[in-house]
Amino acid sequence: MTTTTPHQHPSADDPRVLLDDQVGAFEAVPPYPPRTEREAEFYSLGDGEMFLNMGPQHPSTHGVLRVVLKIDGERVVDLDPVLGYLHRGVEKLCETSDFHHIISQLDPLEYISSLFMEWAPVMAFEQLLDVQVPRRAEYIRVLTGELNRVASHALFQGWMALDLGGLTPILYSFIERDEIVEMLAAITGQRMLFNYFRVGGVNGDLNHEFMSRLGDWMSRATAQNQANIELLNDNEIFVRRMRGIGRLDRETALRMGTTGPNIRAAGVPFDIRRAHPYSVYPELEFDIPTRGHDGGGDSLDRYLLRLDEVKQSLRIIDQCLHNMPDGPVMARLPRLLRPRPGRAWAAVEAPRGLFGTYVISDGTDQPFRMKIHDPSFVNLQLVGLLMKGNLIADTMAVMASLDPVMGGIDK
Amino acid sequence: MTAIGRAWGNLTVTGRVLVPLLFLVLVVAPVATVLIALFVGPWVLDVLASNLGIVRFVVAITGVLLFTIPAAFVIIYMEMKVIARMNLRIGPDRVGPYGSLMSVVHGLKFLSKEDFTPTGADVPVFTLAPVAVFLATVMTFLVVPFGPGLVGQDLNIGLLYLFAVGGMNVVGLLMAGWASFNKYSLLGGLRAAAQAVSYEIPLTLSVVGLVLLAGTLSVYQIGAAQAGWFTDWFVFRQPLGALIFFIAGTAEANRSPLDMTEADQEIVAGFATEYSGMRFAFFFFAEYVNVFVMSALIVTLFFGAWNAPFPFPDVALALDPGSLGIGLVILLAAAPVALTLLFAAPFYLARSSTPAWQALLLGFITFNVVAVGGLLGAAYLGLDWFAGLAWFMVKTFIFVFVFVWMRGTFPRVRIDQLMGFAWKWLLPASLLNLFVTAAAILVVDALKAG
Amino acid sequence: MDRSLRKRLEARFADRLTGPVRQRHDQTEIRIRPADVPEVMRELHDDPALGFEILADLAGVDTGTHMQVVYHLWSAGTPDWLRVVADGMPRDDPRIPTLTGLWPGAEWMERETYDMFGIIFEGNRDLRRIYMPPDYTSFPLRKDFYLPDDAARSPGGGVRHMEQTHTPTQATPSVVRRTAKA
Repeated sequence: MTTTTPHQHPSADDPRVLLDDQVGAFEAVPPYPPRTEREAEFYSLGDGEMFLNMGPQHPSTHGVLRVVLKIDGERVVDLDPVLGYLHRGVEKLCETSDFHHIISQLDPLEYISSLFMEWAPVMAFEQLLDVQVPRRAEYIRVLTGELNRVASHALFQGWMALDLGGLTPILYSFIERDEIVEMLAAITGQRMLFNYFRVGGVNGDLNHEFMSRLGDWMSRATAQNQANIELLNDNEIFVRRMRGIGRLDRETALRMGTTGPNIRAAGVPFDIRRAHPYSVYPELEFDIPTRGHDGGGDSLDRYLLRLDEVKQSLRIIDQCLHNMPDGPVMARLPRLLRPRPGRAWAAVEAPRGLFGTYVISDGTDQPFRMKIHDPSFVNLQLVGLLMKGNLIADTMAVMASLDPVMGGIDK
Repeated sequence: MTAIGRAWGNLTVTGRVLVPLLFLVLVVAPVATVLIALFVGPWVLDVLASNLGIVRFVVAITGVLLFTIPAAFVIIYMEMKVIARMNLRIGPDRVGPYGSLMSVVHGLKFLSKEDFTPTGADVPVFTLAPVAVFLATVMTFLVVPFGPGLVGQDLNIGLLYLFAVGGMNVVGLLMAGWASFNKYSLLGGLRAAAQAVSYEIPLTLSVVGLVLLAGTLSVYQIGAAQAGWFTDWFVFRQPLGALIFFIAGTAEANRSPLDMTEADQEIVAGFATEYSGMRFAFFFFAEYVNVFVMSALIVTLFFGAWNAPFPFPDVALALDPGSLGIGLVILLAAAPVALTLLFAAPFYLARSSTPAWQALLLGFITFNVVAVGGLLGAAYLGLDWFAGLAWFMVKTFIFVFVFVWMRGTFPRVRIDQLMGFAWKWLLPASLLNLFVTAAAILVVDALKAG
Repeated sequence: MDRSLRKRLEARFADRLTGPVRQRHDQTEIRIRPADVPEVMRELHDDPALGFEILADLAGVDTGTHMQVVYHLWSAGTPDWLRVVADGMPRDDPRIPTLTGLWPGAEWMERETYDMFGIIFEGNRDLRRIYMPPDYTSFPLRKDFYLPDDAARSPGGGVRHMEQTHTPTQATPSVVRRTAKA
């Protein structure tokens, strides 16, 4: 149905001109000359290939990720992730916010595990200011952080099943997440963007409501975890969709800068909590679960590993509750923080991997430069590697098993 | 004339539509009916009587068309509610009692949506595709027996017709996928074609053994052959065939976990991506009607059709209301009053605080419940087709529930696993089933003869 | 603070360090020239005595006078993070060799740094903008890029529009510069 009538005033700004050019031609080539060799190579089609634009509005791209797939029938030949739809320029915002304000700027990065987004910068600021955090505050950080990790992994399980077409598990995992989130809301006042950690401690001590909810939840958390494991692990369809899909071997995982559950599922026991201990983790007993066989891990390994991690988190929470010391939860600090000029780097083990912050201070109350290293951003690079040669349906299994969160990727 | 003209001038637009309509209905129609009955009636009756086959067909197809919409509505509501319960949700609960009118509101919503045709679409094909899908689905209803004697058309090649017409469905899906000018639609349409071609074969082969046993291709005859105890149902003689038919039927109806064509996590909505409004509603209805047809077929072929699982003791309900004469009229007039009073009495007497009008209202409701129950019971005992219909519906909706249940619990398989399963497992299994059945029939016959 | 790491680094890279090895808290910092980055990194990665296997972060820094690229490395052999600062790139044409040969995972981090600072990583096969739209012309994290509402810090005290930000012409290579669509 192309119109043959030429436009009266063809103008590059007129959207109809572009539309008419596009209609009738199956070309997804960007309307500008290729910028790099890689882009030129990607946007040239071979025999029988076509482009499929997936996202930014698509049921299973975990937010606003856009992936251009080059497909040959059902098989993915190559792909090009396009980012930036959620870019807030948070690093620039941090340069114009003071140290207290930054904590709330960073919360929405990985909005399902917000406490970790506060933890790393707070640790970096404490290094700049040479603050000693009270032990009780450290224990509270570990306790709430591990709770948040359980909530995040619970949601991962539901998403994984949803992306493979199972409707129900996502609602079951929201039950668990909701209980934890309500619990955290009792001390932080927020369900999602907690804004709880402070430079030198935490904002407010544990209260009665939190403790009663936590005790309530802990009494059945192990059983709940077991139920979650049994929910899908024996499902033949589920296992067959993931076994052998998106194999990531050890060496590639290290070279690609992968961190978190993804690298541990490939058999590398790299966990910042043990590899570079921070907070009170050296005092706690827990294992670093690893999965993988024949020097690599597939989507199913990545899925199972997160379930293993929940068990370890429950162990940590239990120990935190037993070892929790008394004392203050905030160090004594001036209201206006002015560190000496210097540089600091701090990294924590977020549910998706290494979350790091590099801060440069020029002696004012605002950082001179604040670099945020998000694990999802680095892990998402793997999709290009793992999806090649798979079917379109496998892209869902791979992407969901890498567990990216677009808020963190786009910063 | 002027008076009528003035009155007409005072009418609003609605009135100008309604008044002629009222005139037509109240005056012209009765007069025309009487005239036709007097002069053309006998001739019309003669024509109808001599073409009874055609009349029967037209009535049947109209009835089938009218039946599909409420059936789809019920299944849609059932799916919303059942999956909600499985998800620990409540589901629709605002529209109607327990949200039961939700699917009606869905239908109205579809009617009021913009009927959108994308730029670059192949308009005639795009428009015809939903019609093709819906018609292919509805046409399969024609040979499905709902009860003894309740069948649209008892074709002697009914099974063949079912698979032929049911397979036409995919043409519509392919049309929709191709004409939408959308790559997701195209993938969905092609997936539908590949899936239908693969699963049509085990679906057809799985019932050949059953045809050998029943000795007929007529769906009605196959149903009638399963009368008696539930052990006579074909599922006990063709368990493998029934299993293959169920799996292949799931794929044919595009239901989870084999709903490749509309895998929303992969290809958005497949062939229906670009459809909106009533055209989408046609696809939507066709999907649920398909579920009903598949369940009905499974019940008809393998689970005893309309037959009860055990022969009901034959109660001779020799009711002949006509013999009462004028007494019937008196009974019809007096029974409601008398029974209402009778049922109201306990409510009134049980608690002194109950006002009389409340007791009467309760009594009337009780009377209605009892009367309807009694009528249904009598109909069940007295009318064969009613009992058959009841059992058929119960069994069919059990299978509809199974389809919904599978959707709520299973993840989706992958397209290559789906195709591999059809060609590597279902096809050999259905062939095995056929050979074993044929051999068993030969052996049994030889033993009987010897 | 790992004193032995400091000694090892000083002994090994003495000629390539442009400043003293600094240590604070759990971080050890060395400064090198941008041209030395691939060589130094390869030794840090390959030498079993050092064994810095994991590239934890890659950050660009605009100090206001020149550009830096900062790498953070992790090794099982030391309790410290190693910070490698490639210092002294001119602001109007910052160029540094890519690390994608050693760590392919650095590709997107380098793209991000290019997008935000205009630092050219020579040898990166896919150096294009990653967050900002393709027709964007400025580099937002440079110190001469002001947010519209950040009037107080602007040199003229007024508001400058984003798109009118001063962009060194040489910072945008010819491959990347987009000419108007024909």
